[in-house]
Amino acid sequence: MNDADDDIPSATRSEPGEVGLVEPRDFITTEPFTFDNGQTTPGFTLRYETYGRPNAARDNAILIFHALSGDHHCAGIHSLNDRKPGWWNNLIGPGKAVDTNKFFVLCSNVIGGCQGSSGPSSIDPRTGKPYGITFPSVTIRDMVRTQKLWLDSIGITSIYAAIGGSMGGMQVLQWSIEYPSFVKRALAMATTAREGAQAIAFNEVGRQAILQDPEWNHGYYPKSGGPRVGLAIARMMAHITYLSDASMDRKFGRKAVAAHRKPSPASDVSELSMEGIDPVAPAATFDVRFEVESYLRYQGQSFINRFDANSYLYITRALDQFDLAATHGSLEAAFAEVQAATLVIGFTSDWLFPPDQNRDIALALLRAGKRVSYAELSTDLGHDSFLLESPQLYDLVRGFLN
Amino acid sequence: MSKHTHIKRSVDMQIIADWIEPGSRVLDLGCGRGVLLDYLVQTKQIHAVGVDLDFDKISACVRRGLTAYQGDMMSLMRALPENHFDRVICSRTLEELPDPGAIIEQALRIGKTVTVGFVNHGYWKNRAAAFFLGRKPRNAVYTTAWFESRPTNPASIADFEDFCALRQLKIARHAHLSGDWKSRNSLLPNLLAGYALYDLTR
Repeated sequence: MNDADDDIPSATRSEPGEVGLVEPRDFITTEPFTFDNGQTTPGFTLRYETYGRPNAARDNAILIFHALSGDHHCAGIHSLNDRKPGWWNNLIGPGKAVDTNKFFVLCSNVIGGCQGSSGPSSIDPRTGKPYGITFPSVTIRDMVRTQKLWLDSIGITSIYAAIGGSMGGMQVLQWSIEYPSFVKRALAMATTAREGAQAIAFNEVGRQAILQDPEWNHGYYPKSGGPRVGLAIARMMAHITYLSDASMDRKFGRKAVAAHRKPSPASDVSELSMEGIDPVAPAATFDVRFEVESYLRYQGQSFINRFDANSYLYITRALDQFDLAATHGSLEAAFAEVQAATLVIGFTSDWLFPPDQNRDIALALLRAGKRVSYAELSTDLGHDSFLLESPQLYDLVRGFLN
Repeated sequence: MSKHTHIKRSVDMQIIADWIEPGSRVLDLGCGRGVLLDYLVQTKQIHAVGVDLDFDKISACVRRGLTAYQGDMMSLMRALPENHFDRVICSRTLEELPDPGAIIEQALRIGKTVTVGFVNHGYWKNRAAAFFLGRKPRNAVYTTAWFESRPTNPASIADFEDFCALRQLKIARHAHLSGDWKSRNSLLPNLLAGYALYDLTR
C-alpha cells in the first residue's frame, strides 16, 4: 500500500562472476563427540568448502546449510570438466546475492551424511569396519553442534549470516537458538519448525522402500552394494515432493519418451532403468512410456551412485524428529534467547513445507519480541523454488545481507 | 514521488513522530516500502514492524533494514497477544480497507494506542468534485482514475468521529491539516481540512 511512497532503485550491478575452481577440505577431530541420544563417536570428520576471504575482523562469515541430499559443494566447480557447479551457484559468487567479494562463505555437509562427513558409511576406528547402523542417531542439533566445533577450529567467532533452505533452514533456526550471540542474521527459507504429518509420511515411505529391500540387510552392506532399488524408489518419490503439479506438467506434460523406441539393450531407456530394478520386467507394457517416468528413473539412478541408503534413513529421521515447539515447550519459548535478525521466506507452491509453516516461524519470533521479517514468493515450482533462479529472491537476500 | 507529495508526506510523518514515545514498539499497517517506519526508526529509535501484502514492498523494507511481515494485517494481528505493541499506525491505509472498524478494534487490542491518518473525504474540493462535476475526486491523494485506483472506502472527519463515539473509542489527540497539508487547521475541519490524524485509545 502507500502508493505515494517511492524507493531508490537498486544500483546497477556489475555482471556477477563465478567462484571458479574450489577444493573441499576436511575438518577432522579426534575429540569424542556425544550425540543428543547420549551415544559417542571417537571424533568425527566434516567436509567443507569456503569461498571468498575472511576480513581482518573475521566478522564477515556466511554459513550455508544444505538440504537433505545436498552437500558441502554449494558454489564453483571442482574441475574444468565439471558439467554442474555447486548446488547454490546461482546465489553465491562474486557480485551475486551472497557476494563472495564481501563475504567469507562456508558450507559443510552434515554429520550422518555420506559425502565426506562422518556417517554410517564411515569407518568406525574402534572396529575398522563401517559404522552402518551402529552410527548414533543424528539430530538437527547434532549437525549444528558439530558445525560449531568446526568453526571454532578455524577461528570464526561470529556469523554475519546463516542461510539455508529446507533442512538447511532447520539448521539456521537451530543455530540461532543454540548459539544466540554467535549469529547476527538468520535466513531460513522453504522450511519448518516441525514437519507436518504429510512430510513425515513421505519420509516414512522412502525409509520403508529402503528397509524392505533385501539388500539393506539390517544396515550391513558393502560399499558399492546395498538397497539400491529401495534407495532409488525413495529418491523418486521424494523428488516428486520437491516439485509441483504445475512445474511437472510444464516440463513433461504427458509427453511420451521419444517414439517409444523398441527396447534395445543400448537404448537410453534401458540405461535409465535402474540396475536390478526390473530383471524380470513383465514385457514391454511397463517400460518407460512417459518422459516424467524416464526423468524419475534417472533421478533415482543418479542418486544411488552418490548417496548412502543408511544416511538417507538417518537424515530423514533427523528431519522428522526436529520439533522446536515440543523440545522447548512452545515455539515462542524455543526462540526466547534468539538475538539474530531473522528473515523467513516461504514459497506459495511448496507443498512439502508450505508457506504457513514458514509463517508460523515468523509469527512465533514476532510473539517472542524478536526482529523478524516474513516474505512469500509466488512461484509454481514447488519446494525446490528456493534453489531456482529468481531475481526477486536474489534482491531480497541481497537486501537482507547489506 | 513529486516534490509536492514529498512535502505533504513529511508533515504527516513529523506529526506521527511527535506523538511517538522514543524507543517504543510500533506496528505499521500497510507499511508500503517502509518510508514512514524508516523515518521513525531514524528519529525515534522505535522497534518497528511493518505489514503489507506485497512481496516487492516487503523486499524494499528488508533492504532498508526494517522488519516487515508479508501477509494479511488482520491475520497477523489475530496471531499476536494483547498489548504487544505500544502503538499501531494505520496511516493512508484506512480508505483501502473493506472493514476498517474491525481493523481498528483489532489494532486497539494488540496496541495501546492506535494512530489513524486519512484523507478527509469531506474536504471541500472533494465535495466540489462530486457536486459540481459529478466526478470522483482527483487530487494529491486520489491520484488515479476510478478504474485504476484503490481507495475504495473513503471517510470524512465527521464519519470518523461518529464512528469513534459509536464504538466508545477515546480520541487522545488529533491533528487536522489544511488543504496544503502544511499548516494545522482548526476551523470547520470537516469542510476545510485535507488530512486528519487521530490517536485512539480504549
